[in-house]
Amino acid sequence: MTYHFNFAFVWRYADKLYWGLVLSLEIALISILIGMVIGLGLALAYTGGNRWVRTGIAAYVEFIRNVPLLLLVYLVFYGIPSAGGFAYDAKTSFIATLALYSGAYLVEVFRAGLDAIPKGLIDAGKAIGLTPWQRFVYVRMPTMFRIVLPSLSNVYVSLFKDTSLAYVIAVPELTYGANWIKTNTFRVIEVWIVVWPMYLVTCYALIYALRLLERRFSLVRR
Amino acid sequence: MSQPLVQIRGLKKSFGSLRVLDGVDLDVAKGEAVCVIGPSGSGKTTLLRCINLLEPYDDGSIKVDGVEVGYDDANGSRRRRSESALAPIRADIGMVFQLFNLFPHLTALENVMLGLTKVRGITKTEAKDRATHWLNRVGLSDKLQNLPSQLSGGQQQRVGIARAVAMGPKVLLLDEITSALDPELVGEVLSVVQGLARDGMTMIVVTHEMTFARDVGSRIVFMDEARVVIDGPSRDVLANASQNERLKSFLARIEMKH
Amino acid sequence: MIAYVMGVMPFLWQGLLVTLAVSGLVVASSLVTGVLCGIGLVYGRWWISWPIRIYSDILRGTPLIVLIFLIIYGLPLLGVDFGNYGSAVIALAAFKTAHVAEIARGAIQSIHFGQTDAGKAIGLTFRQRLQYVIMPQAVRRFLPPWINAVADAVKGSALVSLAGIVDLTLAVQQVIGRTYDPLPMYLLGAAMYFIINYSLSLTSRRLEARFAYIRE
Repeated sequence: MTYHFNFAFVWRYADKLYWGLVLSLEIALISILIGMVIGLGLALAYTGGNRWVRTGIAAYVEFIRNVPLLLLVYLVFYGIPSAGGFAYDAKTSFIATLALYSGAYLVEVFRAGLDAIPKGLIDAGKAIGLTPWQRFVYVRMPTMFRIVLPSLSNVYVSLFKDTSLAYVIAVPELTYGANWIKTNTFRVIEVWIVVWPMYLVTCYALIYALRLLERRFSLVRR
Repeated sequence: MSQPLVQIRGLKKSFGSLRVLDGVDLDVAKGEAVCVIGPSGSGKTTLLRCINLLEPYDDGSIKVDGVEVGYDDANGSRRRRSESALAPIRADIGMVFQLFNLFPHLTALENVMLGLTKVRGITKTEAKDRATHWLNRVGLSDKLQNLPSQLSGGQQQRVGIARAVAMGPKVLLLDEITSALDPELVGEVLSVVQGLARDGMTMIVVTHEMTFARDVGSRIVFMDEARVVIDGPSRDVLANASQNERLKSFLARIEMKH
Repeated sequence: MIAYVMGVMPFLWQGLLVTLAVSGLVVASSLVTGVLCGIGLVYGRWWISWPIRIYSDILRGTPLIVLIFLIIYGLPLLGVDFGNYGSAVIALAAFKTAHVAEIARGAIQSIHFGQTDAGKAIGLTFRQRLQYVIMPQAVRRFLPPWINAVADAVKGSALVSLAGIVDLTLAVQQVIGRTYDPLPMYLLGAAMYFIINYSLSLTSRRLEARFAYIRE
């Protein structure tokens, strides 16, 4: 039995794919920004906090890291509103889920980054008379961000791939678009022949672009 | 007069465009202990590593006990020996490394026994006896069951020496074996090596520890910039050091470091 | 509350067994293929290592769910049809193979070159060096990250629910379909995944500490 390839159907709905891709990138971006706030905040709280704070943060991190993302998506979208009595739209829910998800991983990234700041830099800051707050803003934060930049890039590309799960709650990103076309045109193979390379090319374009950014900004840690 | 145990002729090697060995000749007679000194980059470690073909070389010949180590001229053309053909040849050449390179998953005793059982093919009991004997010789009789991570640098290096010597090699190659040690641990290793030299072990010692050169070797070879510059009895070489500019400045730099 | 949980447990338990079965298949097959690929990456000539590297890179740019769809819809085109279950397992195993290969490669290559030198110096052949020097150390470096990869495989197995396979995730959803009480059920499902993966994670950390003597 031969299969007749027919891409015309796919091209007709190409805008679903294009805007789906854009939405995926957008969701990943917003999620990582929120995730960074969570991650950095918790990392600082962890280093400065008492035993209860540390246990609480560890519990959050361990929970997120040991439960499948798919289950988290369902939990946030279906589970929480039912208990709280409110509802939110799918996109917000997914962004919240992904932000919590990435936040847990970023706590580790930022903790390692803070640890990796050479002690000598802090001493130098003290020596020229900077206050603790100034040392934080002008020495520790800039240095830490340069150190963690490669990890942040990796997390962003990961999140971009993870947006593919958003289709289960009907967020119109790229995988949702692919499934929509598949359901409405029965052009299963053609759709994936188009969409798979879209993911591949986007991932590698992101990796390349972020690597250029890294080269400009990051520190080489021995 | 029999052939020297180790005979090196016209050894040449380059790493890319960098000439590391530029026509090196060296003879070592049985029972001799030769110390090779020189600034870093002079090629001395590479020379040692060529002898048991841990490094391949581009030109020249290295013969140990009459056998060309790395290459085979049997069919008229020069072909590098395969790894499996090299193994038995390497078994007769012992090497002790600057960074010890002990097998971390094996105890001191097992480290020494591995070559004996797997390469020499002797029984486990015999290997255990021999290994214990050599570990006692180097002063580690109470450390037989210890893992390398539980030993000090000097102790690890002595295990390394026992591992090499227990194989019964024809010649022992020592590659800067005290460079990675804290100064106070150098003495214990030095005395072990002196003992071996006194017992007639043929050895080539690359070192920048001048006490070694003075007290261990009968001969000193000074290398600089990929060539042998001076080759003679240690007492003479050191006594007349001021007559050679390069040797003089090299020794001066060493003295400053200490 | 307890009676409620007791009531749904059998269904969740069935789902859990499917999750474990899928994970087990994926882990077992990817261990074999992954380690072989890892060895190929380290010791193989270019015509072995390059295809493996390209394979790994392609998978790294592919979301797991996309891979599952590709295999489920694509394989029948090539003439083979393993059904949803088989295709999903194949997709997960293919994905994990690349990951395991990377761990194996890292484990072998992180062994200091001096170990090979020392092995050569006492006259061990290549096979002997692999068997007595390299592999014993590589295994100890391989296990902790690999156990983490096993936990990842368990998490990845949740995606088979999207192919209609009644694993723990789909079982939870089916129960909710009848009871209309999402939150406790999702939390229960999460707790079950958590117990499995957290135990694996602890084991990995304990092994890492125990094998620390291997890393000098």
